[in-house]
Amino acid sequence: MMSAQTSAIPQKSSQRYRTERQIAVIAANVFLTIYVLLALYPLFIMFLNSFKSDSEILSNPSYLPHVWTLNSYQAIFKYHGGLWRNFVVSAIVSVTSTVVGVFLAAMAAFAFAKYTFKGRDAIFAALLATMMVPGEITIPPLYIIFSKLHWLDTYQALIIPTVTSVFGLFMLRQYMLSVPTALIEAARIDGASHWQLFWNIMVPTSAPAIGALAILHFMGVWNSYLWPLVITTKQEMQPILVVLPNMTDPIIGFLPVWGTIMAGCVLATLPIIIVFIAFQDKFMSGVVVGAVKG
Amino acid sequence: MGTAKPVTTTQAVVTLAVRRRRIRWGDALAPYLFISPFILSFITLFIGPAIYSFVLSFFRYKGYGSATFLGLDNYKAIVTYHVFWTELRNTIFYWLAHVFVLMIAAFLLAVLVRSTIISRKNIYKPLIFLPNILATVATALVFQSLFGTEYGVINSLLGTKIPWLQDYGYARWVVVFLLIWHGIGWWFVIYLAGLTTINPEVEEAATVDGASGWQRLRYVTLPLMRNTFIFAFVIDAIGSFRIFNEPNVLVARGGSLANPDMAPLLNLLMSDLRSARFGSSAAVGWILFLLVLVVSYFQFRIMRGTGEEAE
Repeated sequence: MMSAQTSAIPQKSSQRYRTERQIAVIAANVFLTIYVLLALYPLFIMFLNSFKSDSEILSNPSYLPHVWTLNSYQAIFKYHGGLWRNFVVSAIVSVTSTVVGVFLAAMAAFAFAKYTFKGRDAIFAALLATMMVPGEITIPPLYIIFSKLHWLDTYQALIIPTVTSVFGLFMLRQYMLSVPTALIEAARIDGASHWQLFWNIMVPTSAPAIGALAILHFMGVWNSYLWPLVITTKQEMQPILVVLPNMTDPIIGFLPVWGTIMAGCVLATLPIIIVFIAFQDKFMSGVVVGAVKG
Repeated sequence: MGTAKPVTTTQAVVTLAVRRRRIRWGDALAPYLFISPFILSFITLFIGPAIYSFVLSFFRYKGYGSATFLGLDNYKAIVTYHVFWTELRNTIFYWLAHVFVLMIAAFLLAVLVRSTIISRKNIYKPLIFLPNILATVATALVFQSLFGTEYGVINSLLGTKIPWLQDYGYARWVVVFLLIWHGIGWWFVIYLAGLTTINPEVEEAATVDGASGWQRLRYVTLPLMRNTFIFAFVIDAIGSFRIFNEPNVLVARGGSLANPDMAPLLNLLMSDLRSARFGSSAAVGWILFLLVLVVSYFQFRIMRGTGEEAE
């Protein structure tokens, strides 16, 4: 290992060194492969068990299905008052929140990154400071306000508190700071309006960061649990991930229906896995923004 | 104004000045127009409710009728309630039991994947990250079926009947395991990015000076990664104090909350909310904020301090 890590420097290029390095390479790759397989095993189980019948999950929980069946996926459409509706709720809430949230953050980030105006740094610092305050403190007042407005079990109650994200603002501003100001000044001299500077110049050049934020924002809302649990009481208005933990047998009751639960987890995860595979670099660079520079 | 329009000089000067002023007005106003939608929604959805929450924490309010001013009574009642201490202890346990293993494992994975002996970095990176993109609720459900007593995957592989989730002594560790398994990919990617910002020449210089791999990691890489570590530990601590999904989904069913022996601090906020003790619920939130503040402050001090000694 040690000699392998120092490979950048020309050293005694002996035969022994080369064999040591080869052993290190093989050992490291074997280790990482085993690690990845173990780490992904729960994911495999989730996929495999969603294709087993409920009785096979009990007798054969850990391996490939003996009989592959789509019963669990059918159950999502048939039983439990039509679980598919909860997917629709999740989709409406997450998409709306992402579109509005990213738009608000992008406009504000543009001003914070490319304009000098009175109070800019103070406002920005104040916004960052609020990131220390746990969002949960707003749950009691928001619950009181929304119940007085008769907004429990409504889309607006699920969506509105999720739109503003200081993290998103910070992330986009960091990216926009690196966009050359000359680009904007040139367009300004050519007579572009402020809105055009934003919409035609800044948004297209910041597309990678905006895309990364959109993915992270969507994921955050799609995966949220505590707020929807607080604000919804009727099953038909609950996002899928709030309903899934409570799925019990439609006939016997109380027993968890693992097949349906796993199929629900697969369907709730699949969109995100697909987006991840398609945009993995964007995805992971979004995670990193703010962490390293800050 | 080089155009040959038949206007008098004074007229031209006047119109130019007017137009200039208009442009300046627009220029001055534009940034405020850009930030106002965000700022206004942030004030209505966060700052306003936060202030309301703070005021509420000094009152008894059932959601209807009038509110009674209590002074600090909500806070006093919380800190003398034994469940608060049990749940605080659980929260700190979940945090301390996972954070060191999580950070060390994620960092070592990042060091290994970045080292020259791994050539296919772009295959390992997304695969190691992958568990992190699952919703915590989904991961907790999968772990519930992994750690079932009668029909669980782990017990069937081991041939045992260990009550992983019925016995809270075990279940607490299942939560810790879940936190590590789920979090590793996230911090791995952050450490990997941090490592990439280190100038390779610095490390090469250390090697030329005869530093071993371990010495280089200890005296060159670790000090250069200090800010990333501070960031990671502080953010993870804040997240840990707000933990809710993992323990609750893992052991509770039917929309009920986890038993206090397993429950984190946020359960107290939830149970107060569900029994319409809104003032007390808000007070729990502010106690949580104070804890987060104190813990972050001490982490900053300790980590900045140890870093300076090493230098």
